[in-house]
Amino acid sequence: YKMLTLWTRIVQASFIFLATESIGVLLDPCGHISPESPVVQLGSNFTAVCVLKEKCMDNFGVNADNIFWKTNHATVPKEQYTIINRTASSVSFTDISSLNTQLTCNIYAFGQIEQNVYGITIISGLPPEKPKNLGCIVNEEKNMMCQWDPGRKTYLETNYTLKSEWATEKFADCKAKRDTPNSCTLDYSPVYFVNIEVWVEAENALGKITSDHINFDPIDKVKPNPPHNLSVRNSEELSSILKLAWINPSIKTFIGLKYNIQYRTKDASTWSQIPPEDTSSTRSSFTVQDLKPFTEYVFRIRCMKNDGKGFWSDWSEEASGITYEAKPSKEPSFWYKIEPSHTHGYRPVKLIWKTLPPFEANGKILDYEVTLTRWKSHFQNYRVNDTKLTVNLTNDRYIATLTARNLVGRSDASVLTIPACDFQAAHPVTNLKAFPKDNKLWVEWTASNESVNKYILEWCVLSDKSPCIPDWQQEDGTIHLTYLRGNLMESKCYLITVTPVYDDGPGSPESIRAYLKQAAPSKGPTVRTKKVGKNEAVLEWDQLPVDVQNGFIRNYTILYKTALGNETAVNVNSSHTEYTLSSLTSDTLYMVRMAAYTDEGGMYGPDFTFTTPKFAQGEIEAIVVPVCLGFLLTTLLGVLFCFNKRDLIKKHIWPNVPDPSKSHIAQWSPHTPPRHNFNSKDQMYSDGNFTDVSVVEIEVNDKKPLPEDLKSTDLFKKEKSSTEGHSSGIGGSSCMSSSRPSISSSDENESGQNTSSTVQYSTVVHSGYRHQVPSVQVFSRSESTQPLLDSEERPEDLQLVDNVDSGDGILPRQQYFKQNCSQPETSQDISHFERPKHVSSVSEEGFVRLKQQQISDHISQSYGSGQMKMFQEISTADDFGPGTEGEVERFETVGMETAIDEGMPKSYLPQTVRQGGYVPQ
Amino acid sequence: MKVLAAGILSLLLVLHWKHGAGSPLPITPDNATCTTRHPCPSNLMTQIRNQLLQLNSSASALFIAYYTAQGEPFPSNVDKLCGPNVTDFPTFHADGTEKDKLVDLYRIIAYLGASLGNITRDQKALNPKDQNLHSKLSSTADTMRGLLSNVLCRLCNKYHVSHVDVSYGPDTSGKDVFQKKKLGCQLLGKYKQVIAELVQAF
Repeated sequence: YKMLTLWTRIVQASFIFLATESIGVLLDPCGHISPESPVVQLGSNFTAVCVLKEKCMDNFGVNADNIFWKTNHATVPKEQYTIINRTASSVSFTDISSLNTQLTCNIYAFGQIEQNVYGITIISGLPPEKPKNLGCIVNEEKNMMCQWDPGRKTYLETNYTLKSEWATEKFADCKAKRDTPNSCTLDYSPVYFVNIEVWVEAENALGKITSDHINFDPIDKVKPNPPHNLSVRNSEELSSILKLAWINPSIKTFIGLKYNIQYRTKDASTWSQIPPEDTSSTRSSFTVQDLKPFTEYVFRIRCMKNDGKGFWSDWSEEASGITYEAKPSKEPSFWYKIEPSHTHGYRPVKLIWKTLPPFEANGKILDYEVTLTRWKSHFQNYRVNDTKLTVNLTNDRYIATLTARNLVGRSDASVLTIPACDFQAAHPVTNLKAFPKDNKLWVEWTASNESVNKYILEWCVLSDKSPCIPDWQQEDGTIHLTYLRGNLMESKCYLITVTPVYDDGPGSPESIRAYLKQAAPSKGPTVRTKKVGKNEAVLEWDQLPVDVQNGFIRNYTILYKTALGNETAVNVNSSHTEYTLSSLTSDTLYMVRMAAYTDEGGMYGPDFTFTTPKFAQGEIEAIVVPVCLGFLLTTLLGVLFCFNKRDLIKKHIWPNVPDPSKSHIAQWSPHTPPRHNFNSKDQMYSDGNFTDVSVVEIEVNDKKPLPEDLKSTDLFKKEKSSTEGHSSGIGGSSCMSSSRPSISSSDENESGQNTSSTVQYSTVVHSGYRHQVPSVQVFSRSESTQPLLDSEERPEDLQLVDNVDSGDGILPRQQYFKQNCSQPETSQDISHFERPKHVSSVSEEGFVRLKQQQISDHISQSYGSGQMKMFQEISTADDFGPGTEGEVERFETVGMETAIDEGMPKSYLPQTVRQGGYVPQ
Repeated sequence: MKVLAAGILSLLLVLHWKHGAGSPLPITPDNATCTTRHPCPSNLMTQIRNQLLQLNSSASALFIAYYTAQGEPFPSNVDKLCGPNVTDFPTFHADGTEKDKLVDLYRIIAYLGASLGNITRDQKALNPKDQNLHSKLSSTADTMRGLLSNVLCRLCNKYHVSHVDVSYGPDTSGKDVFQKKKLGCQLLGKYKQVIAELVQAF
């Protein structure tokens, strides 16, 4: 361990020492590399030698064996090293490819610590190639510039020097700039007529090379200054010439020049050139011929040495001039329109003509002269500055002539025949076509067999918004294809009319529609339903207005879909305005949209939705009518059946009720009640004695509270039992059970069906009973021959009556309530039953008790008073107080008594009377 | 004295002409060796003629530009002040051989060139802003330099003449302004006259 620590300290001390020594090395290198600053050719071999100094070798204990080389911080393989001697080591590289290589010579001091000894930079590149294609241009009075092709890139700093000399002396070199190694400009104009020899010398670190020498007279390389002060003037004698004049460059004083003269009209873009042979000698003016009259021309000129050696000068500044006027070269286009008139015998004729284009007017048109000839001897002359003239002509045939006049002369006459009123136009052109081509709208037609003087083409934009304002043009009679020379717009529908003009007047016009350029419609058609069926829908739409068509409508596309379904497309011919969508689903919402297509595209109109009905038209009727008919038939058959069986039905539904007024009672009892008192019951009931009826709710469980359900059940049972108890009774018993109507509706129905017989009995007996003042017990019996009486004779009928009666005998009670309690007491009664736990207020309870007390008091007080009154009181009490325990007991008693009475002979004495505590006296 | 003058003019030529232009050539025997940097062109005589034409075409304009630039009284007294009264002007023998004419031409152009150098120097001081005159003077001097080169090339290559004794005009550097102007004007008048003769001779 001690040895290891000692060794570490030694190493640290050595490192410090070596670092100190390293500073010394930087100041005084430990060796050097030869060559010092090598520049080598790319792809060549290179060898460097590192030589160590003896002092360093001693200090670090190294020799040439310890040298290792690095290029750009990468160690060079030892295979490339060569130990020359104890102090020197060389390294060799083959095929140098890097442009800039850092090469260092290093040693391992003390065999371990890497130490840099020396470093050099190897710069690689290529020697310059021989410059080629050397050429010079001498700019007159300015300079001489020479250019050459420098060849490949050298990757090294390469100087290109332009050298020049006369035979007797040498001139200063012209060094090319770094950024333009392919040219050099001498800043003085070389002397003409002395041959100068020029060459280029290219030189860098790897070599120097010279281009071929060129020897030339600078005058043969001259680029003259352009002619200047170019002027143009016209000739009044000749409208087809212009005279040019210019000042030649100064070089013209000792060399001959030739020229290029170019010209064009002012609006043209291409130049025409004067034949070079006409301008091959030195001159300062030139007359250009064959020009158009009254036309502005632009000229330019350039020059060069006339032997062709050298270069063309730049173009001179442009100069323009206008040729003089000539008489109009063509007659104006001439046409007419007959305007509507209200003057008999005259017709306003509007003569119209076109201004001549400049190339035909040949000058400024001063005015137009119009001549109208009715007969050969009759002339009318007009001078017009405008391009139209309206004259009132008779219905005769006229010949109109038109000439245009300018400063120099007048045009040929344009002749037009205005036929008489009764002229019948004929011989139209055929095969009229119109088509766009090259951004022009071309019109083509086939002439008729007649000799045509000219054609008139008229056109206008078809629009729903604005009237058709025609433009027109005239074509020669030999033309069958032309284009419209107006300012046509795209996407507009043009109505084009071609009218041939014959000697005797215009022929029949022919029209055609065309577009200069179609586009998609700007609006789509608005589709709507004309008729919607269960599985089909008839769609209809209007033709698009021409203003939005933008082209010829070729077809329509109808797209329709359901809310969730895929869209279905249908193409429809453009001539259609309606279409039937079939195979639709009933009761479905459909969305429809429609596009109109031109050749250039389509445009969709607004969406439209409709819903197919659930049933087809007539389908409901087809169902309903048979059903109704069947129903009617059934009804009819039923009626017929009923009619046929009416006796039987009547017997069942409306049994014959004996008319009490026609009945008589057998005098089987000592007193026969007076017949006329029978109806007094009605009178009594209608008196309204019971209108002021109070509903009394009586709790059943006054003494023994029971569970609610049991309470109601118990109440029901008790009431039922009470009903049963007095069901066998007639008349008065029915009154006493009048508080039970809500127990069972079936009971009601049942009782309702059997009420008649029961009522009849009750009524008879009751009335008879009530309208008596029975001081003695009265027994009455109907002696009617009606079935009621039959039932007495037939035990089964009687039994039926008993059952019915025991079932309820409700109807009389209902009638009773209806008559006396039209207020909702009945329903209160029902709710009382249905909600047995419903507790009345204390006051009500007290009232009930008070009522009971009153009743009992009343009974006790009225005891022995009028029977009628007593009966009413009891009935009232019973009606509204069926739930009291005392009364339940009392009903039970009655029931028992009734049961006992069953074995008794039929009696019409109401048991309730007995039970109520009073008996007819 | 002449030798001294020649020495001074030679110095002026060196100073004001481009390098090598107008160096006096010694007249050497025909058999003496004479080399040039490169061969003379075959159309050398044509070039000499064109150079003479070039000089002739501009001589009048130069003369006018000069006396106009000097101001009065020169423009109005051209005949008096600018008459071609130049002493010691080299003679030209138009009836001589081509070689003789070329030697005479060399002497004349060398004389004119040196004089033109003096004039250019004087005018840059007297009329420093007259670029038109300076341009014409410079252009004429350049052309003369080229003409000398061509003549020398012809004499050397064809006639093997490597040396021609030349003479120069008076030095104007020490003269007053008017004398400078007058001498210059006289020289340009003489030049205009002589160059026309030379054109005719070649």
